[in-house]
This record gives sequence, C-alpha cells and structure tokens, in this order.
Amino acid sequence: MRDHDRKLFLASLTDRYVKRQIDRRSFLRSAGQLGLGLGAFGLGVTRPFGGHFTPVAHAQDLRPDPDVLAWVREVSKPFAGTTLKLATESTPPSNALNSQLKQYFEEASGIKVEIEVLPLEQVLQKLTLDIASQLGTYDLYYIDQSWAASVSRDVFDPREQYAAKPDLAMPNWNIDDFLPALVDGICVYEDRWVGVPYDIPIFIMMYRRDIYEQLGMSAPTTFEEYLRQAQRISAETDLYGATGQMKSGHYSLECDWTAWLWGHGGSIFNADRKFSGNDELGLEAMAYWDQLYKTMPPGVTTWTWDGQGQSIAQGVAATMMSWGEFFPYFDDPSATKVSGLMEAVRCPAPVRSLRTVEETGFGEIPGVGHQGGSSLAVSMNSKAPDAAWIFMQWVTCQDTQVLITTLGGGTGPTRNSVYDDPRVIANNRVGPGTTRHLNVVRETIAKDMGSEPDLPEWAELSNDTIPVRLGKYFAGDYGSAKEAMDDIAKAVDGIVRS
Amino acid sequence: MRWSRSTSVLRQIAAWLAVGVFFFPIFFWVTTAFKPAYEIFNQPPSVWTFDVTLRNFEEVFGISLGFLRQQEVLPGGGNFYMAPRLLDSLIVGLFSTALAVAVATLAAYALSRMAFRGRHHFVNWVLSTRMMPPVAVAIPMFFIFRDTGLMDTHLGLILVHALMNLPLAVLLMKSFFDDIPAEIDESALIDGASRWLIFRRIVLPMAKGGIAATAVLCFIFSWTEFLFALTLTQTSLKTVPVVSSTFVTSTGTAWGNMAALGAVAMVPAFIFILLVQRHLVRGLTLGSLKQ
Repeated sequence: MRDHDRKLFLASLTDRYVKRQIDRRSFLRSAGQLGLGLGAFGLGVTRPFGGHFTPVAHAQDLRPDPDVLAWVREVSKPFAGTTLKLATESTPPSNALNSQLKQYFEEASGIKVEIEVLPLEQVLQKLTLDIASQLGTYDLYYIDQSWAASVSRDVFDPREQYAAKPDLAMPNWNIDDFLPALVDGICVYEDRWVGVPYDIPIFIMMYRRDIYEQLGMSAPTTFEEYLRQAQRISAETDLYGATGQMKSGHYSLECDWTAWLWGHGGSIFNADRKFSGNDELGLEAMAYWDQLYKTMPPGVTTWTWDGQGQSIAQGVAATMMSWGEFFPYFDDPSATKVSGLMEAVRCPAPVRSLRTVEETGFGEIPGVGHQGGSSLAVSMNSKAPDAAWIFMQWVTCQDTQVLITTLGGGTGPTRNSVYDDPRVIANNRVGPGTTRHLNVVRETIAKDMGSEPDLPEWAELSNDTIPVRLGKYFAGDYGSAKEAMDDIAKAVDGIVRS
Repeated sequence: MRWSRSTSVLRQIAAWLAVGVFFFPIFFWVTTAFKPAYEIFNQPPSVWTFDVTLRNFEEVFGISLGFLRQQEVLPGGGNFYMAPRLLDSLIVGLFSTALAVAVATLAAYALSRMAFRGRHHFVNWVLSTRMMPPVAVAIPMFFIFRDTGLMDTHLGLILVHALMNLPLAVLLMKSFFDDIPAEIDESALIDGASRWLIFRRIVLPMAKGGIAATAVLCFIFSWTEFLFALTLTQTSLKTVPVVSSTFVTSTGTAWGNMAALGAVAMVPAFIFILLVQRHLVRGLTLGSLKQ
C-alpha cells in the first residue's frame, strides 16, 4: 500500500472509530494490519476535558509547516543547546503543545523546552516568586488576563522585540492577525503589550437542543427570555433550567457575577474608579441572579466550572452561559450523555445598553461574553530571551495555532485567520474536539466580549475579596443583596485606595 | 467477662460499620479509577455497578510504560508519565525517611539517656520547630536551594523532607527510648560496655517497634507532602501530590486519571506499612503500660 493510501486509510479508520462506527477491537485489528500496532490506538481515543482525542483532519495535515520549521532551524542555530522553561496552566493549547507539538520545535531548533503544567493558582505562585526574586527561572510567562497589570513591567513588549530584532523576526508572523478585541482585553496595559493573546476561553450560550425542541422554544435572545426559559425547563422537565459556577471564594463565582452585572448595564468600577456593583444596576443584576439561581441544581454553590460542566454533561441541567471550551467536551460520546444534543449561540442580549470603557474604571470592558484569556510573553529576567522569543513566535504563529486548535480539542484560537483554516473547519462536525462552536466564539469575541479591569490589585479582588463575599451572600450571611454589595464596595475600595 | 450472643453480634456490626466508614472512601476512589468518564458523575452515583475500564490507567501510566505512544492530547500537558513520578516519590520518601530516622534515633537516645545542661530546653526547642507553618520557610528555602544548586533535585527534596520530619521523629523516638528501662543501660555500663555498644546491641533492638512506627509516619508525611515539593521542584522532579494537581485543568478535573494515580500511589505506602507491620504494632503500643 502506498504511503499516501495508507495515511488516508488510517485517517478514515480513525474517523470511524471517533464516530463510534467501529469498536476498539476492530480499530486495533485494522491498525495492526497497517503495521501500526497498539500505538495507533492513541489516534482514536476520546476522553473528557481538555481534549483526549485526535482530530478528524488527516494526520499528514497535522504537522508543522516545513517552511516554518526551516525558519526555526535557521534562526535557532546560535541557541542550540539552550533550555527554555515555561510554567503554564493545564489548558488545551498548553496540553497540545506539551504533548505533541514542542517536539517539532525541539528537533528543528536544538532548543529544549520544558513546560511545567500546573493548576492556575500554582502558576501564579511560581510566576510571582520568579518575578519577586528576579531569578529568571522561567523564560516565558503564561499570564492570565487578570494578572496582566501586575506583570506588565516584567515582560518584553512583543512589538518592541519584533522591531528590535529583525534577524530573529519570523516572516509573516503578522501581529495584526491577532483578534483586536483580544489584544485590548487580554494584553494591553497602559501603553504596553503584555505578551500576545495565547488562549481565549469566553462565555457563550450552550443549550440542549432536544429540550428546546420538546418545549417548542428557540435559543434565548434576551436575558429576560433566558430566565423565563430556565424557569419553564425546571417546571416542565426533569432537568434544571440553568446551572452555574458559584463556589464560594472561587474566581469562577466572580466570573458568573460579572456576566449578570455587565448584562444589566452595570460595571465593577465607575469612572471615578470606585466599586459600582452596589449601584441600582448592580442590584438589579443581583435580583436577576437570585431568580436564575432558583432554576439551578442544588450544590451549584459548591461548584467551580468543573461541576458546572458536569451538570450539563450528565444531563442534569439544560443550559449554561459559560466557557466555550466546554463545548467540544460535550460532543464527546465517551464522556458525556449529551453528545450531539448541545448547540452553541451567542449570549443573550443585555437588558440595556452596556457601559462604555470611559464610563468604567481601570480599562474595564463590559460585555456579556466574559473572557478569561491569557497571554504568552518573554520574561525580562530570562537568561535566554532571544531563544525564548523565537519559541514564542513559533507557538503563536498561524500554523502552530491551527495545530493547537485541532489537536487541543477545539479550543478558541486568538488569530483571525485560524478560524478559516481548512484544517480547523474539517473538525466542524459532532464529535470530540469539534470546532462547530468556533464561529460563535469568534462572533462573541468581536461583539460581546467583556473584560475585567486592569489593576495590580485585581488578582486579589477577583480571587478573594469579591467571591468570598458573594459566597457569603448565597450562604445567607447578608440580610440583602444591597448589604452584600455595600460590604464588597467597602472592601474593594479599601484595597484599591491602599 | 462473658458477652451475650446479641451483644457480640452488635459489637461485630459496630466494628464492621466502623471499618466501612473508613474503607468506603478508599473503595469509592479506587473504583472511580476503573470507571469511564460518564460513570464518574453519574446521577444517581454508580457505586456498585458500572462499566469497567482500564483506560484511566492506560492514560496515566501508558506512555511511561511504553504501551501508549505520545500521540494523545491529555490534560496535564502530556505529563502522563507517571511511573517516573512514582519513582521520584519513592526515592524521596525512602531516603528522607532513612535519613530522618537515623539522625532522630541518635539524637533521641542522647536526649533520653544523657544528662546535659539545657536538655529540657533542647527538647522544647525541637518541638517548637513543628509549630512553624511550612509556608513561612518555603520562600527562604527556595532562595537557599536556588543558590546552592539543590533546586529541582532529589537530594534537595530528601534533605527538606528529612528536616521537616526530624522534630517529630526525635520526639517520638525519645518517648520510645524513655520507655526502655535505663537500668539496662546502667547494668551494661557496669559490665564495661561502651555507650555506642549499648545503643547498637541492646537499646536499638528493643526499640525496633518504635523505629518502625516512626519510619511509617515519616514516610507517609513525605509521601503526601505538597508545599515544599511544589516550591522546590520544577520540571526534572515531581512527587505524586504535585503531579496529581496537574489533572486540575482549565476546563475541569480529570477525576478518572487522578483516581488512577491515587489508587496506584496508595500501593507503595501500603507495602511499606505491611513490611514494618510486625514492628509497627509493637511500636504503637510501646509505652502504653508503665512499669
């Protein structure tokens, strides 16, 4: 069998296995006939969360562009033997990079890349320690958007790097290809770019199509409609109408809150840089949230996004406005009970017009599509900043992003061109690692995206001050939403002033 | 005292209930490792009947054991090479335990048998080091390790875990030595034996149970320690508690994989305890009766 035919047959075989058209035994037997043995099984397995899967696109298409690797090979010669270190959250892009893609870079460049994958809180701890000590343990920083202000002076501005080192600049890297809304929302702090957008989890609306058809409803277009639908689903079916990520004291609770707050025309800060979640619109949002909370499963106040996703995956709840990265997982029949039943649309329209950036403080961008993106930047303390810069360009270039998106389980790309790439579109079907939600993600980024304020204290405020008090509110520790919001205002303004 | 049949039955039921309470979480955790993802959060929970899969074990250990190639994209960033991580934990656990017990035994014997000025203050000082929260020293240790080249090395973590366990080990061993009558040492001294000979030939064999109990505690503390293992390691070395946390991803937790690693990680500790069990029971009861 010619190599081309063999690859096509393998791709087709994998596709059939992914779609559950053949069982595991048949897959392995056929793969064995191709001389691939047990190792081929890795091509077809499907697993939950974070994309344990191999995409449908043909295997030969999922290798880095030879031209890109040729550039890496050429430009990296002086740095061969260098070791780069990066600490990152366990996100689909980082997992794809670490599991599969970095080997191509290492082979071409002779640069060794060590990626330390950790939960987000631990990444922050490592990063803070590295910055405070100026040790340069890590050459590249994975920067959650809520930390951008804190680390802005400790990383290189990629525009300056690109201009200052023309001999190291990747041809056609095209910095303008990054979605402008993401650049604004994730990377820009004051006059600097804190790296370039690396990944983009963002709130979209996901709902059970079968339940909506059963009740004769269509996807909600307004907040009011969404609430009514959630109430109706709870009343007329065995499912809960909505779900949430409302664990007390956890960042996820703050994320949920901002979506309702922004959607009601409110904002976290006003133009005077004072907390404004306790104003009239903020309290209206709380009243809405209280109503929606009644349509959520019991235990929702103990969940982060993990439990929220599980409540949909297990068929307990019918809708959620949350991170789009969940969607490919929901389509995985080996992991969930809702494969092929979920649909993705833009979040419902806000109750009233959103506040403008000028009407808020600290660069806050109100929008119902809460974004939780992150950026990648070269540390100023790095002992090999040039090698790190080459790696960073390779990781964030169009070709690598396509591979990250397809291998990483349908994670949202941060470059515009990636959404239209045939290899990404090839996965636009029901199944694990689907990309059929990505058009919604792109539209949400362009039209609905909300970004948290940029201030050095934001990591503390969003991870502790606000969610702890919101948690106390839902635990019944406050007499009213007004009392809770006033308490948050006092705490937040106290921290910001100091 | 004679027990009536009904009392005996009730006692047995109570005993089995107590065992069940302690055993059920382990049972649930281990069975979770054998469940496919859709069963783990099934409603109602699949406690007794569920589809069995070895997939979680394949994913967690498959790459490092060579039967699953590095083709998949897995949460944990391809850090599913957990067999080496288990080895890391074993090396650190065993060597730090050996070091802590060796030093603690000598120190405890001296504190128990030799009168010197400020002995009680010394014991209190040893105890006081346990009162300091580890997080208070984690960052200074980070700098020390960085400067001395111990960062991200087995030796570094062995030293830290041994130091961390030393106070507890010294105090435990001292209590065991205190329970061995000093008259035995004195008789041997009169017969011309040296201190070292008495320690090695007479007291140490009598304290074997105590050493076993101390070693088990030291090993378990090292096996489960998280903060230092996180702060003082990077990529070349990771212990089980630290790598377990990598299953917590941006889009959820890979509970099946975490359970698979957790279930396997119980085995070395279990074997270690089995090996020293005979001495352990003696050690745990040593000193329960005063002469």
